[in-house]
Amino acid sequence: MPDPQVATRIREALSALQGANLKDPRLGEVLHLASQMSDAMQEFFGALDRTLYSELRYISAYIARTRQEISALRPNDIQTDRIPTAGAELEAIVAGTAEATHTIMEAAEQVMAADPADIDAYQALVSDKMMEIFQACSFQDITGQRVKKVVTTLSHIEERIARFAEVMGVEDAEVEETAEEKRQKDLLLNGPALNGPEVAQDDIDALFGGDAAPANDGPMDQDALDALFD
Amino acid sequence: MAVNLDAPVLVVDDYQTMIRIIRNLLKQLGFNNVEEASDGKEALAKMKLQKFGLVISDWNMEPMTGYELLREVRSDEQLKGTPFIMVTAESKTENVIAAKKAGVNNYIVKPFNAQTLKAKIASVLGDF
Repeated sequence: MPDPQVATRIREALSALQGANLKDPRLGEVLHLASQMSDAMQEFFGALDRTLYSELRYISAYIARTRQEISALRPNDIQTDRIPTAGAELEAIVAGTAEATHTIMEAAEQVMAADPADIDAYQALVSDKMMEIFQACSFQDITGQRVKKVVTTLSHIEERIARFAEVMGVEDAEVEETAEEKRQKDLLLNGPALNGPEVAQDDIDALFGGDAAPANDGPMDQDALDALFD
Repeated sequence: MAVNLDAPVLVVDDYQTMIRIIRNLLKQLGFNNVEEASDGKEALAKMKLQKFGLVISDWNMEPMTGYELLREVRSDEQLKGTPFIMVTAESKTENVIAAKKAGVNNYIVKPFNAQTLKAKIASVLGDF
């Protein structure tokens, strides 16, 4: 039975009992207290209903906004178009540079192996091979354009994810180290340094027990490496 | 001590281009007997079949890295005396120290030139 009806019926029962002019006043007092309790409970459940409704509305709005933001990310576009295209561009870069390198090295090897006894033939061969090398170097222009496309894709994804994280208030979760990450750490597979090898003399001195402490654990250049093996 | 140019040299790298570059540089230096391997595992197998006068190895390879190869070589009674030069883009201090502790004879950071390679080989094997 709904709460308002209970309260109404209790009030009606109270009025009926009071009208009956009962002799025991305690019964009237009990009924009065029951009426008060019913009113209080009605108020309590009413407030509870409003709170629950408010919470559910908030959750519903949050889900709707999340869906909207995920939709704005255009995950299908990223997954089916942008990332595969970027991957294909990178593969083309690797293939293009490998082909150009092969052409250049092939030409250089032919020049190195050529017999200079016949000077005219030798000169013609060197000239031809140099032209082949120049032509092969055109890969740099194409590679640059491909790299630009990949960078644009990465920037696009970065912007959308950053916006999503900001709007949704996402914080980075702790993640477990993968087997590959552990291998890379154990075997010191750091890869090439971004801006080329750099080192301060202090780093070298420290490695050989000098007074100076290493400035950082960054890359070393060839001179620094040489100092270690002197 | 002079370099023995007839001694076989093993070049280990997973990039054929780099092997080709080193092979050509070694040829220019006078080495005529150059073998190649595409990772540490293949190199180790070759080293167990043939004695090499020098190993020139990259670091970052699959499935066995140059660093693992170095440690395997240095822990093997038959192979531990083999001169070993690391040629790698890994230029962090921790890499160099780890390689030195593992017993590498010299360490060349990529990209490098012919003079550097020659100098490092000379420091390990003797003058040309």
